[in-house]
Amino acid sequence: MLVLLGVSHNSAPLELRERLAIPAGRLAEATQTLAAHPGIREALIVSTCNRVELLTTMDAAALAPGAEDAAHQQQRQLLRFLEEYLAVPSTTLKPHIYQFRGREAVRHLFRVASSLDSLVVGEAQILGQVKDAWTVARSVGAVSETLDPLLQRAFRVAKKVRSETQIGSSSVSVASVAVELARKIFGTLAGKQVLLVGAGKMSELAARHLIQQGASTVMIANRTEDRARQLANDLDTRVPTQILPFDRLIDHAHKADIVITSTGAAATPGGSKLFLPAHGRLFLERRRNRPMFFIDIAVPRDVDPGLNKVDGCFVYDMDDLQQVAVTNLASRSREAAVAEAIVSREVDEYQRQLSVLDAVPTVRALQQQAEEFRQAELARAAGRLQGLTEAQREAVEALTRSLTAKLLHGPLTAIRSAATDGDAAALDRWQSMAAGRGERSGRRPAQSPSLQDFVLPDRE
Amino acid sequence: MSLVWLKLAVLLYTVAALAVVPVALYDRPRWRQAALPAAVVGVLLHFVSLAETLNAAHHTLPIDRHETQSMLGLLLALAFLATFARYRTVAPGIFLLPITVLLTLAPAFRPGTELLPLANSGWILLHIVLLLAAYVALLLSLLMSVLYLLQERRLKHKQPGLRGMPPLETADQIALKALLLGLPCMTAGLLIGSALAEQTVGPSFFLDPKVLLSFALWVAYIGMIYIRRHSGLRGRRAVYLSSFVFLAVLAVWAANQFSAVHRFSAP
Repeated sequence: MLVLLGVSHNSAPLELRERLAIPAGRLAEATQTLAAHPGIREALIVSTCNRVELLTTMDAAALAPGAEDAAHQQQRQLLRFLEEYLAVPSTTLKPHIYQFRGREAVRHLFRVASSLDSLVVGEAQILGQVKDAWTVARSVGAVSETLDPLLQRAFRVAKKVRSETQIGSSSVSVASVAVELARKIFGTLAGKQVLLVGAGKMSELAARHLIQQGASTVMIANRTEDRARQLANDLDTRVPTQILPFDRLIDHAHKADIVITSTGAAATPGGSKLFLPAHGRLFLERRRNRPMFFIDIAVPRDVDPGLNKVDGCFVYDMDDLQQVAVTNLASRSREAAVAEAIVSREVDEYQRQLSVLDAVPTVRALQQQAEEFRQAELARAAGRLQGLTEAQREAVEALTRSLTAKLLHGPLTAIRSAATDGDAAALDRWQSMAAGRGERSGRRPAQSPSLQDFVLPDRE
Repeated sequence: MSLVWLKLAVLLYTVAALAVVPVALYDRPRWRQAALPAAVVGVLLHFVSLAETLNAAHHTLPIDRHETQSMLGLLLALAFLATFARYRTVAPGIFLLPITVLLTLAPAFRPGTELLPLANSGWILLHIVLLLAAYVALLLSLLMSVLYLLQERRLKHKQPGLRGMPPLETADQIALKALLLGLPCMTAGLLIGSALAEQTVGPSFFLDPKVLLSFALWVAYIGMIYIRRHSGLRGRRAVYLSSFVFLAVLAVWAANQFSAVHRFSAP
């Protein structure tokens, strides 16, 4: 039985998630410990800053008979692992955990891998984190016949969701929106020059994003030159940085393709903005009209909004960036609905395939049982068949085989249909019927049909 | 049979023209999988059709108006594919492909019969192909300037730019490079045409309105490249300039009606 138990940003506060988080270096050991717990056949642990989930296949036979149902027993086993391994009491965990079994566990896994259950729906990291968990579990031999194909299926579903929807195509954080906008203006950011005016945290973050995308030079102008130097040291050392004197900012600004301002104070002693439309026209003239992108994250603003009206100058302040992020987020929500439909279809398909596979041992058992009956009947009639020639013996052999096959045709078709339709109750009945010949002695459940009912008249 | 290929090509161009719209305007990149194969197969069928037509008529160049239109359409479709190969954008297709469809519709359903003089000269072929290529380059440049303007407006008004559209700098590069490619084509095409006209009509050919307008167009073409390169003209003003030069092209085309040395019908 597939069982998933976990906590996530939806169910637990950060304090609890912090206590449960398993560092990457200890994940292999933790997975191994979980897999070694009694009753657990396969195990995988997904541990990120937003969720800790235990995905297991559990042995139904290992459950203790008694008043407590299977779900509670399984939950208790997994909670015991968390309690023992992470020293978090069950009583603390219980109000925040969720548990899924069978089909619902499959659905949850597919949703998580497809980033539909993420804090920021559509973010791409979660798929990599689930893949890492799978790699670790494989390396310690904790996943095999059930979880291994299930995880691979989850990766395919996630890929399908990303390729068939636009769920991850737009940026939803202010820094990534700034990068996205810069790419809409410049295409590639390779070789572009960035000017940071002010050395605040936000501008540093935006600059890091731009450097990651290939920006080649960073110029920093700050009222306190020491702080500018400190920021230059903190940034990527592979990118050349240049400190500009703050009072000569206007003389150098035209060299920058992207200007990020975050002085966070009245820009000039007179209270006027740092960059005015007249400056924009001057810059554009010096740049032969190559566009400039101003990202103004200062409050109060450093850039006069009128600069946006100058041909070739694009000005985005904090509100504009947030507005784009909100619009993108809404677009992701619309795409999430499409993605949910894909996940539902994939869960149905997976369950159908699983049912067909589940039916294989039942089919084999029935065929084997029928063959044993056939052989037994031939042995019983051996004395009466002694006088037959070789050709006549072969004819009898063929006749009995053919009869057995024809009699089995009905039950086998019913089993396959039940498997394809996902009729678990019917499959269970057939499974218990095929469980062994001992059932003929009256141990089988009263309502279960027997192969004998189809194949042989009761001779007792 | 060649008309069947051309009709199929028109159908495929139509499919491609419709499929690029969701890519460029509605952020639906999967439609690219329909647009590109349709355009590629359309170009192949178009080429086969043109080759069969010319072969059947025992000549090597378009000799009537419809054949010329058809070749211009083929060049436009090729320009669309070349732009995609270089810049990975199908956005120019929202203009180029419908124009291709319009240009090839008439030749596909009503082949023309107006013959060009000197139909069997290889130089004429070069003259026609080079000038058509120059017109295609000019049209592509104009369309990219329009796309630049559209994307610039969206960014200025803080609307998320369209993902299917090329970035501003890419659009600008395509526009300028198209002009730079078109200039040698136009120069060589005009020189060859002048030499042929001089041989057949004599020195008076230069006074023909068509010839005068063609050289005026050439000067405008050079002027446009100079302005774009040296002042970095972009956006609205670039569209105005390109539109002006494109109107000059239409005037040159229309001048065929008044020309004594350059007519589609035989002299």
